[in-house]
Amino acid sequence: MGDLLKESLTWGHFLIFVLAAVVMLLIVLGFVTYTILFERKVLGWMQLRPGPNRVGPWGMLQTVADVLKLLIKEDTIPQKADRPLFILAPVLVFVPSFAVIATLPFSKSLYNADLNVGLLYYAALSSISTIGVVLGGWASNNKYALLGGMRSAAQMISYEIPLVISVVGVIMMSGSLNLRTIVDGQLGGIWHWNFLPQIIGFVVFVIAAVSELNRTPFDLAEAESELVAGYFVEYSGFRWAFFMLAEYVYMFAMSTLITVLFLGGWDAPLPFLNFIPGLVWFALKFLLVVFFLIWLRGTMPRIRIDQLMGLGWKVLLPLALVNILVTAAYLGIING
Amino acid sequence: MIRTEELLLNVGPQHPSTHGVFRIIVKLDGEVITEAIPVMGYLHRGTEKLAENLTFTQIIPYTDRMDYVSAMTNNYCLVHAVEKLMGLEIPERAEFLRLIVMELQRVASHLVWWGTYLLDIGAMSPFLYAFRDREIIINLFNELCGARLTYNYMRVGGVKWDAPEGWIDKVRRFIPYMKEKLEEYQNLVGGNEIFLARVKGVGSYDAKTAIAYGLSGANLRCTGVKRDLRKDEPYGIYDRFEFDVPVGTNGDCYDRYLLRIEEIRQSLRILEQAVEQFPEEGEIMGKVSRVLRPPVGEVYTAIESPRGEIGCYIVSNGKDKPYRLKFRRPSFVNLQILPKLLVGETMTNLITILGGIDIVVGEVDC
Amino acid sequence: MKGIIKGLGVTFKSMTKKNVTYAYPDVPIEMPDRFRGIQYFEPDKCIVCNQCVRICPTECITLTGKPNPDPEKKGKVIDTYDINFEICILCDLCTEVCPTEAIVMTNNFELSTYSRDDLFKNKEWLYANNTKIRKENNAATPKGGAK
Repeated sequence: MGDLLKESLTWGHFLIFVLAAVVMLLIVLGFVTYTILFERKVLGWMQLRPGPNRVGPWGMLQTVADVLKLLIKEDTIPQKADRPLFILAPVLVFVPSFAVIATLPFSKSLYNADLNVGLLYYAALSSISTIGVVLGGWASNNKYALLGGMRSAAQMISYEIPLVISVVGVIMMSGSLNLRTIVDGQLGGIWHWNFLPQIIGFVVFVIAAVSELNRTPFDLAEAESELVAGYFVEYSGFRWAFFMLAEYVYMFAMSTLITVLFLGGWDAPLPFLNFIPGLVWFALKFLLVVFFLIWLRGTMPRIRIDQLMGLGWKVLLPLALVNILVTAAYLGIING
Repeated sequence: MIRTEELLLNVGPQHPSTHGVFRIIVKLDGEVITEAIPVMGYLHRGTEKLAENLTFTQIIPYTDRMDYVSAMTNNYCLVHAVEKLMGLEIPERAEFLRLIVMELQRVASHLVWWGTYLLDIGAMSPFLYAFRDREIIINLFNELCGARLTYNYMRVGGVKWDAPEGWIDKVRRFIPYMKEKLEEYQNLVGGNEIFLARVKGVGSYDAKTAIAYGLSGANLRCTGVKRDLRKDEPYGIYDRFEFDVPVGTNGDCYDRYLLRIEEIRQSLRILEQAVEQFPEEGEIMGKVSRVLRPPVGEVYTAIESPRGEIGCYIVSNGKDKPYRLKFRRPSFVNLQILPKLLVGETMTNLITILGGIDIVVGEVDC
Repeated sequence: MKGIIKGLGVTFKSMTKKNVTYAYPDVPIEMPDRFRGIQYFEPDKCIVCNQCVRICPTECITLTGKPNPDPEKKGKVIDTYDINFEICILCDLCTEVCPTEAIVMTNNFELSTYSRDDLFKNKEWLYANNTKIRKENNAATPKGGAK
């Protein structure tokens, strides 16, 4: 793929790129389908029940049935809602989530675009979704939605900062913003992976990531038992499916990012296991991160908005800054 | 020019956390509540008025449906009032059965409260664990009297059914199981820092306010007032058993949480003793005439239900149907403190406080 | 932090435990004998004493009787007997007062239909509902005596 990108753009190459994007989209949609099923199954097992098991063998077709139901529903738009904004909000939330996948590398040879500022591109694009959330909350003409949208905007903005700052330590250690270079710096087994030397950064990043994904314990934007689904309470049918799709595609993107930045990407934990292809290791670590996110959802209660802001600004941000300081001191000592 | 407006928000009647059809009109300034007005009556079924046309035995199924989460205590409340008015003697085995059933009901009701409270706060799994354990109690009741939720079990003068073979053994085996589960619940949420940050210091009031508003049950005991009708004005055979009455100090939601968990432990303690002392044989129904005609007069008796003090006031004019029947429902009275507690709180704390008061709307509206 | 880790441990361990759910529509639920389900009525035992009509808290039973067709026997025989299951609360009081156990409860509880008219059951339907009849009907109450 990298070689194709360096040649000049002909119609043939353009067609290949479009095809690759479509294939990527299909893979991501397939992933989303089975992640939703996986989440419901795992939550079910944690709660001593089987999870979906009636539609298809072992519940495999459950998400397909759900999506079909959503597609054939009536498209209701509240009468006094702001129509253009109402229709624009789901699009604004979904498009960046898919666009960031362009820079994520999945294995040594499987990557889409080798941007030298891959990490920055990711952080920048994922902020656009925040605008979509606020628009959705405002355009619904519903007080619950407005409350949810406001809360969500505050939450997402204040957790972007620890998210990005906690990664600065990783950038300093590998010397580049290019995601492939960062993984190349971690090759050689589990002791070289970034989560061990950067343990503070890792913890801060994971907490900020859960908050960016709007998942429990930080899901107050869509707190089911308080705001009755928060900013997407007025959305039904396919528009709601867009919001859900965006959330799960972000989960895909964020889990990939955690794997690439901290868990060594496609590296095998022990060097002699390198005969197993890198993609398999990548998939295993990725699944581990997804399972952890689902595990958190099944156990934790929800945090309150003022405690959330306190946590973000007073705890995570100083920790991330301390992490940078320690990394800089260490690198300074090592390099003379 | 920028100006801010007050937001008027309707919480309910359809809302996942109001524990039934119950509505609160809140005036919000940003996220802070300036005024809260509860509106109730969506579940009013006219039990007290209907009771004027029904004999006392016919009213018993109606009391099941008032506080549907703890139906046995409602049954007992009515039956106890009539027995006091008529001056009846209850056989020993019937008294023991009544006590065992009421304490099991208290455990079941507190389990429902625990599961739904944590669901409101955001944790999904404890709800299912609580219902798994409550299912055991419900199945015990199913074997005893034939229904899972609306028991129709007590009668004036005794109880309707005797314990079947092996039932007391099943109760005996349930007690250590439940104690172990309480440990599991403590591990799951009791020490969870997020949960503690959510409930500590929220919705606190002092003893003077609590007494002025007429609160009862865990809502009163969390402020430090030690009042439990099972100890202060014992009814049935409660004076034969040893148990403690847990009392809190701060009067906030965390104290109420701890109190109710401790109350489950004390109920298990009473059950242990009751199962040991259970009489081998005996009558389960006293000498009562076919048609119940209480003498002319009025009576008020109150018992301790899981939600507080439930009382029954009967005015009788000698006929087999009451002239006037009134229930003093604990959830209705406990709800009075809500507008005062909510001023100055955020929306999130509204849910926490409402859940902590433990209301059942069937009882609020009767 | 410690409390959170303990909580995570509890949910993780629960993943390995057995499910506690019932596989209900595929596997029928066994109710204990005393379960109060839909009633079963035997017209031969009924003596048309009207006690069940009088005791019903929601007045859902209506019946009519006719004089015994056999000219030698006295008393009435049951002609129509309807229970309105829209308002029957399955409280079991009718069984309690019946002196001949003509009306007893079964362990059936599946009564859902698509229209309200189907819920008005008559004597023939109640007589045909004869599976899983409760064996123990009135352990406590001696017949016709103290209640």
